[in-house]
Amino acid sequence: MTDNVIEATGLVKYFGGFRAVNGVDISVERGLVYGILGPNGAGKTTTIRMLLGIIEPDSGARTLLGSSNPRDVSDRVGYLPEERGLYPGMKASEAIAFMGALRGLDWRTGRDRGAVLMAAAGLERVVDEKIRKMSKGMAQMVQLIGSIVHQPELIVLDEPFSGLDPVNQERLEGLIMTERERGATIVFSTHVMSHAERVCDRLAIIANAERRFEGTVAEARGTLPLRLRYAPSPGVGRAELDGLIPDAATPSGDGWSFTIPDADVAPWLSRLVASGHGVAGLSIERPGLHDAFVRIVGAADAPEAKADLPNKEAAQ
Amino acid sequence: MNRHLRQTYVIARRDFLAIVATPTFLLFLLAPVFMLGFGLVGGLGASGLADTAIDNGEMVAIVAANDRADVVTADRELRELFNGENEPPALKIVTARGDLGAQARRIAGNQEQDVYAVLYGDLKTPVILERNRGGNSGRYLAGLAETVLQSRASGGASLSAPPRYQSLPRSGPSNTLRVSLGFGAVFIIFLLTLMLAGQAVGMLAEEKGNKVIEILAAAVPLEAVFAGKLLAMLGVAILFIGFWMLLGTGGGIAAAVMIGDQAAAAGSAAAPFDLASFAPAIGWPAFLGLGFAYFLMAFMLLGAVFLGIGAQAATMREIQMLSLPITIFQVAMFGLSSAAANAPQSSVATVAQLFPFSSPFAMAARGATDPAYWPHLLALGWQGIWVAIIIWLSVQLFRRGVLKSGPGLGLGRRAEAQDS
Repeated sequence: MTDNVIEATGLVKYFGGFRAVNGVDISVERGLVYGILGPNGAGKTTTIRMLLGIIEPDSGARTLLGSSNPRDVSDRVGYLPEERGLYPGMKASEAIAFMGALRGLDWRTGRDRGAVLMAAAGLERVVDEKIRKMSKGMAQMVQLIGSIVHQPELIVLDEPFSGLDPVNQERLEGLIMTERERGATIVFSTHVMSHAERVCDRLAIIANAERRFEGTVAEARGTLPLRLRYAPSPGVGRAELDGLIPDAATPSGDGWSFTIPDADVAPWLSRLVASGHGVAGLSIERPGLHDAFVRIVGAADAPEAKADLPNKEAAQ
Repeated sequence: MNRHLRQTYVIARRDFLAIVATPTFLLFLLAPVFMLGFGLVGGLGASGLADTAIDNGEMVAIVAANDRADVVTADRELRELFNGENEPPALKIVTARGDLGAQARRIAGNQEQDVYAVLYGDLKTPVILERNRGGNSGRYLAGLAETVLQSRASGGASLSAPPRYQSLPRSGPSNTLRVSLGFGAVFIIFLLTLMLAGQAVGMLAEEKGNKVIEILAAAVPLEAVFAGKLLAMLGVAILFIGFWMLLGTGGGIAAAVMIGDQAAAAGSAAAPFDLASFAPAIGWPAFLGLGFAYFLMAFMLLGAVFLGIGAQAATMREIQMLSLPITIFQVAMFGLSSAAANAPQSSVATVAQLFPFSSPFAMAARGATDPAYWPHLLALGWQGIWVAIIIWLSVQLFRRGVLKSGPGLGLGRRAEAQDS
């Protein structure tokens, strides 16, 4: 029996005549860091808002922490919305305590924990500063702390890295990993692949309102074949390589580049070495998440290519 | 504490402190300076009521059937001596039957109608029951009897003996005074709700403007957000009222004294002001308690409506534009309730007491003239139901119109995907 903190099937949401989310399925196991990736307007935020019960889906079902009514478990969830919002007249400590109190934490504990978390984030000097006097990045960190101050089981962060400078982005990555070590499940959306690649255990890629991929980072990268770059001995022309490398091979420096399936690496290397054209250069490149994302999202934009996607059920 | 109550409390606490702990609140607290202006309006209304009291009261002449025509003629002749402002109260002529003294006391004791003086007995030796000893009404009736006698005898005749004056029995405050009290209750509740409830219209603008609404909507039910905001504003209102209660009480007593003085100065036989005799039908403790309860209900009802409407507004400009229709709506409820207060038995009063948004005002006025308790219990329950209905409706509209959850209600908003 799985221990999923989120279980959603067939989520659909229309805004007027616009289909924002179309049949998205998401399952998130307890204790994982789960990324929801997608380009702008893909439906990530709408999906998150449906998962949290902020808006109701037009169809589909979801359970959050085992409850079909997300409202019933809201005290066990932390949420950082995409559009950051704090009361400008509040001090940072009050804002954190208020956000904790909304989720059932008593005010005093909220203030105390908030001070500790602020110090951990290097913000102890602005604990009693009003939000309106803070930089955008600082206020964002305050809000993030406010969303985890009650030590929730599930933390949902919508585009948490946007608006943060590199130092704070690194701090946030550290905070995500700390919360994971505490036992929390973290779900976050982003369209910056580097963060997802570093911290996500699993991820879903949403494009055009539909889920196009679900799996680990490695599985996502595995949706693309390896790229082999081969440079023969000097003087060997393209015509001499006919039959050895694919017709689709493209020039790359002083050699040729083409894709091969993972399973074919060894035979290919043997063939190239045995061909008699020499090996001036040889490299095998594993595509990054960025490449996989671009291909998956790009394929989603091209209807005729959907059938080629590895996760066919997502293309329906 | 129940989870929903706790969530409501968190919202209310934040809002209450956000309002009170600002320098602006001091300005708000001193707003009763504006009440002076309203006081003038109220004074004019009270003056009108005093005049109404004079106009509504009457004198009664209990005479034999064959004296009726002469009395009517004499009354008409005498009234020609007075101009409009000084004209005596209306004269009601009643045919004498049985024990005249008992008949006179029965007429004088009628709580539905103010009777300033009653004349009965033989016109040559009349007995005059009067409310205000030595008042104008009693002297008018004496003059009326003498005029009748003079018109019958060509040589001129006069009373064979001076009229015998007796004081009217007092069985409680007059209906007119109670109507005035009812109007006063309507006016005070209206004034407070006008100053306080209207502010609810912009209470969600802050959350929408700084995007906190998303955090609130994710953490607590919107019903708790709305109810918390209403309670916060109610807390501010109660603080405000408490601060000014003493001054308001003093002003109210002074105004009441003025009403009595004006009525006496106008020459009627109305009794001089006596606070003890100015009691509402339901009694002072219940009247004041109900008045407070109805203020809470009026505040919650109108506040919930304004909060719900304001929550739909997308910009501060829209909120500012809403202030005029909101004020007009409140004034309309005041007008309806005032009409009800001035005519407690009328169908207008029934409508005002049943219509949810005028019900608190009209029912407060009812306490002044009707001693029954049970209608108030029903009314408070009825109004409470409407508070819940309005909050629920406001939440549904907000959820669909602003959060874009569920089918649209065709409010003219373009549905947009709020997505990244």
